[in-house]
Amino acid sequence: MTAAVRCAGVVRIYRAGELEVVALRDVDLVVERGETVALLGPSGAGKTTLLWMLAGLLRPSAGRLWLDGTDLAGLDQRRLDRLRAGHIGVVLQNPSRNLIPYATPAQNVAFAQRGVRRDRRRIAELLDRVGLGGVTTRVGRLSGGEQQRVAVAVALANRPRLLLADEPTSQLDAATGQAVIDLIGSAAAEEGTTAVVVTHDHAVSGALGRTVTIRDGRVGAEGRGGEDFVVVGRDGGLLLPPEFHELLPPGSRARIVPIPQGVALHRADEDA
Amino acid sequence: MIWRGLWERRWQSLLVLVVAVVPVAAAAYGPLRRDQAETAIVRDVLAAAPVEGRGWHYSTKTDPALKAVAGFARDFTDPPVTGMEIVSPRIGERRSYPVVWQDGQCAHVTILEGRCPAAPREVLAEEGSALEVGEPVRLALLLAAVPGTGEIGPAPLTVVGRYRANQADPFWFGRPLAGNSSRAGPLLTVRETRTATVVAGTQDSWSDYAIVSVNRARVRGSDLPGLSALHGVVTAAGRAAGSATLGRFADTLDVMNRQVGALGVPLALVVAQLAALGWLLLFQTVADLVRARGPEITLARLRGQSRLQVWRFCLAEPLAVLAVALAAGTALAWLAAARSGPVALSAAAVGAGAATVFGGLAAAVLAARGMAWRPVTEQWRRVPRRAARGWVLDTVVLVVAGVGLVELLAGGIITEPSGRDVAALAAPGLLALAAALLAARLLPPLARTAFAATRRGGGLAGFLAVRQVARGAATAGSVIVVAATVGVAVFAGLAWTVASANYREVARAHTGAASVIDVAPGDIARFRRAVEAADPSGRAAAPVVRVPGNPAMLAADPARLAHVAYGYPAPAGALSAPVVPRVWVQGDRLRVTAVHERPPDSWTARVFGVFATPGTVQPAQIPLGPLRPGTGGDYEWNLPGACRDAPCELRGFRSEVLMDGDAGLDRTALDYTITRLDVRRDGRWSEVEAALSTPGAWTGGGSATERGLVFPIDPVAAPLARPATFPERLPALVNGPVDGGMRLPGLDDAYAAGFEQKAAYAVLPGLDQVGALVDLDLADRVAYGEADQATFEVWVAAGEAGRIAAALERENLAVSGIRHAADLERRFTTQGPGAALTLLLTAAVAAAALALGRAVLALYTAARARGYELAALDAAGVKPGALRLALMLEQVLVLGAGTCAGLAAGVVAARLALPRIPQFADQPVTPPLAYPLDPVPVVVVGSAALLGSLLLAAVLSEVLLRGVTVERLRETAG
Repeated sequence: MTAAVRCAGVVRIYRAGELEVVALRDVDLVVERGETVALLGPSGAGKTTLLWMLAGLLRPSAGRLWLDGTDLAGLDQRRLDRLRAGHIGVVLQNPSRNLIPYATPAQNVAFAQRGVRRDRRRIAELLDRVGLGGVTTRVGRLSGGEQQRVAVAVALANRPRLLLADEPTSQLDAATGQAVIDLIGSAAAEEGTTAVVVTHDHAVSGALGRTVTIRDGRVGAEGRGGEDFVVVGRDGGLLLPPEFHELLPPGSRARIVPIPQGVALHRADEDA
Repeated sequence: MIWRGLWERRWQSLLVLVVAVVPVAAAAYGPLRRDQAETAIVRDVLAAAPVEGRGWHYSTKTDPALKAVAGFARDFTDPPVTGMEIVSPRIGERRSYPVVWQDGQCAHVTILEGRCPAAPREVLAEEGSALEVGEPVRLALLLAAVPGTGEIGPAPLTVVGRYRANQADPFWFGRPLAGNSSRAGPLLTVRETRTATVVAGTQDSWSDYAIVSVNRARVRGSDLPGLSALHGVVTAAGRAAGSATLGRFADTLDVMNRQVGALGVPLALVVAQLAALGWLLLFQTVADLVRARGPEITLARLRGQSRLQVWRFCLAEPLAVLAVALAAGTALAWLAAARSGPVALSAAAVGAGAATVFGGLAAAVLAARGMAWRPVTEQWRRVPRRAARGWVLDTVVLVVAGVGLVELLAGGIITEPSGRDVAALAAPGLLALAAALLAARLLPPLARTAFAATRRGGGLAGFLAVRQVARGAATAGSVIVVAATVGVAVFAGLAWTVASANYREVARAHTGAASVIDVAPGDIARFRRAVEAADPSGRAAAPVVRVPGNPAMLAADPARLAHVAYGYPAPAGALSAPVVPRVWVQGDRLRVTAVHERPPDSWTARVFGVFATPGTVQPAQIPLGPLRPGTGGDYEWNLPGACRDAPCELRGFRSEVLMDGDAGLDRTALDYTITRLDVRRDGRWSEVEAALSTPGAWTGGGSATERGLVFPIDPVAAPLARPATFPERLPALVNGPVDGGMRLPGLDDAYAAGFEQKAAYAVLPGLDQVGALVDLDLADRVAYGEADQATFEVWVAAGEAGRIAAALERENLAVSGIRHAADLERRFTTQGPGAALTLLLTAAVAAAALALGRAVLALYTAARARGYELAALDAAGVKPGALRLALMLEQVLVLGAGTCAGLAAGVVAARLALPRIPQFADQPVTPPLAYPLDPVPVVVVGSAALLGSLLLAAVLSEVLLRGVTVERLRETAG
């Protein structure tokens, strides 16, 4: 079966004047259909950049990126827009950024359907699902939590195959944040939507099927079933998680010891 | 959702609406006002035209039914007035008499005696014709059967009444109603006289005519092509039928076309500049509106909407606002124009408004393009990228401005030979824009040079302010808009004050006094008596006779003129000269008692008495018989007929010698001395007081001595010996290059009067061309009468026109109209250049006010966008007072720089362009126009701009600071 998302050696370089900043380097990532993935990592690690690339808002400086088997590099802007309109839903960090403040929730959801066929039943169903059915207040007057629920409804308006969310709970209290997570989870469960969520929130990452940690522009680790794994890069490199920096500080030398399950790293002391 | 969005951004939308409405209204007002001004011009020219210049007099001898006249009817013409006439000498008299019937004639005369004619061969005689009621008039050309004889003889026309008619009544279409020595006033009759008489011979016949007049109340500026076409039709019809088309409508049409032509270009230039200003303002404001929708547009793109959908979404709100602005602005222009008179909305007005909106549309498209093409993720950048402003547009504008300026100063191809060209009206816009661009470029580096000073000064506010100004791009738009609009506003203010002062001075100079009452021409003495009776004080009215010519001549009572005329420059007595009393005679016969040498036998010498007789402009002379062979005696001859009933003035004696072959050539002259003059009246002789023996009382070819008036009888030269009732050369004030060798036309238009230039002034009241002002009494003494082209005016002091006009009517002086200097001044403002300057002033000031508002709002928006930075400064401990001062200083620096650049550009533009901009449709020959720059508009515009910006800056700084909280810093990076 074709993966929902496949990144192969994706590199993204920003240019700021004379400077070049490498945001992502050789990212390899596969997300299966219906899978829910949390993108974790420190600020500036490149999570949001990866998300924007998955949304087709940025193009890789190098490497390939497939969505449902479609190579994004082969799509012009018009096709990219059409892909986003039909198959991708995006929830941005700041609730108000997702919405037209002077429009009602229904109008906001309808606005998101402009690129595809208008489906009034879907609008009503989504708003019912987020608990805002029948609300005719302009969204600018709703609370932050309500706005973010509307934002999820907006992102799901086109029955997306891929739902991308950037810190969807960062400005919400715990209960409201949980409601938003539940919405994303239920969309994945009920509609088979693949979800990729950038988050710092453990509650969010814990609720999703897999975690991918980005560090220094690379996929550093993955977590499944409560266990974290480091990921060996395509160049054979490993990113040691920070919690092990005390044992193997950055800059120190280590000895690789083959063992039946793989390799073990031993600190190479001067006197050893 | 469009309307919800507009409501969400209501203040910005309202600003765009107002910013768009004003230039749209100004631009649409131009064509509407032009239509009105054209109508006003056409009507004013018609009103000022002589009555025969207000239509056509179509006359024919081959089309009695006047069939062609039906084709002359237009919406703007009155129903034709038909008539017929024939001119015939009277039996036993040299004068000819027009016999006239004109439809509706009796409603246009005042019956002084008797009644209107009602039957064939009845006539109504003009009051000056000396015909009595009941008197039969036999004309050579009109014959009828002599009762009882079977023969045909001159038809007796019976005078059934006497009338007086107003020569200025358009009904008469300039027909001479007062008689003169060769032609009597018309005899009005009925149509049936034509069939009741027979015209003698085959050469003459009745003429049928129709007077087609243009209706002043109905004609509009847009009818001008129709008027030209009708003129062609009437003229062609006359030619085709071998008929005559009389009147001076061609002259009227010329004036209309010239004035309307002068209207178009300046208005178009002003509208173009206003449209450009509007574009500039709209461009900035609409771009702001589109940018304000950035997050929503980004959302549309994020949701994958197509390019078309994004474009539609981008443009929906600006287009809605601009559409409303177009409708509202056009309606506003229509309402404003409707206050000045009836006006119809024209395609040109809507087109001008739409063209103005185009600036906003272009801005919307460009801004939308930017929003639609830039990466979506750019919208979420905390510090938006700013593209550096290119030099291309600036360079183009500066080069065009520079070339235009050089052309303007050097008098190049855009300049007319007169040195004035309406294209100079484009100078202020170009200069203001150039200054604005330079100011926008110079301000950031200047602010950078202030870095050190603000650092040394220790005040954080100054440093923050100049740092922000030095960033440049954020403030450039505001500086450009403010400088350009303030520059044009200052120029418009200066131009208006200069033009207004010139309008006032020219109106005063051309009118002469506050009001001028036009009266029917007539006898000078009667005219003067009427004025003296109407104004015994001598301080409210002055009699003036105007004679056109080159040079023109004004003859007036200097003492009265000094009280009522605007700027009468001469001291008392400047125009007077020593003269002796005039010699008046009234009677039927003149007797001259003379002593003379014996004339040679071969001479036949005669002495003639020369008289000025009432009602004519020609001298009348009577021969006193050939000189008898003796050495003197009495010589008698009948006086001219006119002297029997009214005094005639003895204007002198001249001689004539006829010689029999060459004999007598040896004798060059002989003395002739008049010792006594007598006039016979009612059978009695009485001596005429002619100061014959008063030294100096006679001049010219003779001189008064103890023996009497002595003058030579000379076969070669026979100058007139005349009483010294006027100087050889009239003392005169002149207003231009009048050569002393030139002659003035004189009241009789005989160009017999030389003049002595007493003083030359730049301006003489009442003269709109080069001319001279002389004493009316002396001018009257010189002339033999009053020419037809001499017009009689009574100049009146302010507020006295009504009273004096009524008093003149009581003195039987017919008033044909009253003109006011204030009306002329107003009329100047409706002419092309005046209307253009008025429009420029109102719209430019409005645009400047809007530009200030827009600039303040833009600064506010820019500062709000820096809210994160301000919040950081606040969190870092910078005192609110310092932040407030920094924000205020920043706004004051930007607005002040724009205002100062605009003030400078406006003053420079006014200094350079004003003398080259025509202020009148027809540039006046006199008085010379002045161009002193009035500091008031500069101070008013500058103060208003600076005070307004200070106030707005203070308010907005406070509003901004209230929105700056450390909470802004809690937004985390993505």
